[in-house]
Amino acid sequence: MIRIVTLAPYDAADLAWLGKTLYTAFGLGTEIAGERRPPASAELPGGRTDAEKLVQAAGAPRVVADDKILFLAAADLALPPGPLGEPPAWGFSQQGGERAVVSTRRLPARGSTEASVEAWRRRLARECIHFIGHLWELHHCYDPRCAMHPSWSPDLAPIPDAALCNFCREKSERKIRLAKT
Amino acid sequence: MKPESPETEAGSAEGLISDPSSLKPGDRVVYPNQGVCRVTGADVQEIAGQKLELVRMVREEDGAAVLIPRAKVSSVGLRRVASRSYIEGVFHYLAAQSADPELDWKIRHRDNADRLVTGGVLGVAEVVKGLHSLSHIRPLPTKEREQYDSSRHLLVAEISASLGVPPSVAEDYVDYALMPPAGVTFKLKPPPRPVELPVRFARRKPVVKAEEELGLDDMGLELGELAELGEGAAAEEGGEKGEEAAGAEGAEGEAGAGTGEEAGQAPARAAPHAKARPAARKAAPAPKRAAPKKAARPEAKRARAAAKAAPRKAAPAKAARKAPRKPAKGGKR
Ligand SMILES: [Zn+2]
Ligand SMILES: [Zn+2]
Repeated sequence: MIRIVTLAPYDAADLAWLGKTLYTAFGLGTEIAGERRPPASAELPGGRTDAEKLVQAAGAPRVVADDKILFLAAADLALPPGPLGEPPAWGFSQQGGERAVVSTRRLPARGSTEASVEAWRRRLARECIHFIGHLWELHHCYDPRCAMHPSWSPDLAPIPDAALCNFCREKSERKIRLAKT
Repeated sequence: MKPESPETEAGSAEGLISDPSSLKPGDRVVYPNQGVCRVTGADVQEIAGQKLELVRMVREEDGAAVLIPRAKVSSVGLRRVASRSYIEGVFHYLAAQSADPELDWKIRHRDNADRLVTGGVLGVAEVVKGLHSLSHIRPLPTKEREQYDSSRHLLVAEISASLGVPPSVAEDYVDYALMPPAGVTFKLKPPPRPVELPVRFARRKPVVKAEEELGLDDMGLELGELAELGEGAAAEEGGEKGEEAAGAEGAEGEAGAGTGEEAGQAPARAAPHAKARPAARKAAPAPKRAAPKKAARPEAKRARAAAKAAPRKAAPAKAARKAPRKPAKGGKR
């Protein structure tokens, strides 16, 4: 079961669409688990949010067994800078763990036309598949059509698919099966 | 216990542990192809009537118990987790412009297998980067797609351990370097020199169950193999010549890595490749190669007994395997 906890207000129809897409990607049930307040302890001076701390500190419903928690936030997520600088964070995931966050901040404007809403939803779903994929121990993928391709890659299509490539899908299925036994 | 000397053998991976007595509980080490482990202590086990001193470790990612015979610590390539400054160099390598990927799959398989065992963290990065640039030319065959994934896994785990960041952040660092966002450029420094790869180890299947339990499979060297070093160098040389005469590079253990998808390429490339390699092979005086399998297998038991008597022979034999190799594909140097 994937439990989606929102840390900002989102449209119910958007969340329902997301739940369906995640079900298609992972074959796991999804639940919209309500809105919570983002944890103050993750706030950084300057208005950004420590992505790792947010995921650790945010409130969430109790989970059982192989449940995963996905937080949806509007925050500007910060990662610790690496040797070549700070990569842009679309989200953060406890690799192989329980919790992940996706921020809608870097998504294209949602707008209100059918096309723009559709594009926004697809991009949101793609990022959610990506960070949930990390929870199932998936690594990044060189295929730009796969949701595990890095979110900032210049090779991504303007409106990328919200799906995994065969390799990543099969690996996620293996990991999910393994967790169930 | 003596402190581990900081300098390493020329051309070997950073932090290679040459003296197992320098290992103490709590040390973080990398076991090639297995991952980051924490030393928990020492142990003595009796196997087939022989006392075997073991280093006991726990693999950090899953808590799996790992045991290595003390005498094999250096030959399996056990090394300290790469230092922060070395890891920084690895990122400069990852971000550097890629050279053309190796298109001969036999050379690629062999070199990548060697890099993962003896190349240190830079060797792992070379495999990731090399397969990554190959993927721009064509999708990777199944085996190499898996190797791409498992090498990524090893690289991410070591970066995460060295820099003290979560694995998913370590992977973001890797791909920020490997495929930077539009408009991002880096001021790059010269990357570290790649490790000079030895003529590759013979790879064989586990001989007995006891060895599997020790976690000795998959590491390319086994107890039985040590024994063969002591037992019959002449027979081995015969085996090697026979192998080379047949141009049987692809017939080594790794032949299985040639997947169905690639099998079609083999005939055209086998001949020039077979010609290109022997020079390097012959430069090493008596490199240990897989003795003919038919001869080696029935003697496994006797071999194991002899292994206990002559474990020291592994080290000089390994040193003799060094042979010049062309620099790895990847960053411009
Ligand atoms: Zn990612
Ligand atoms: Zn993929």
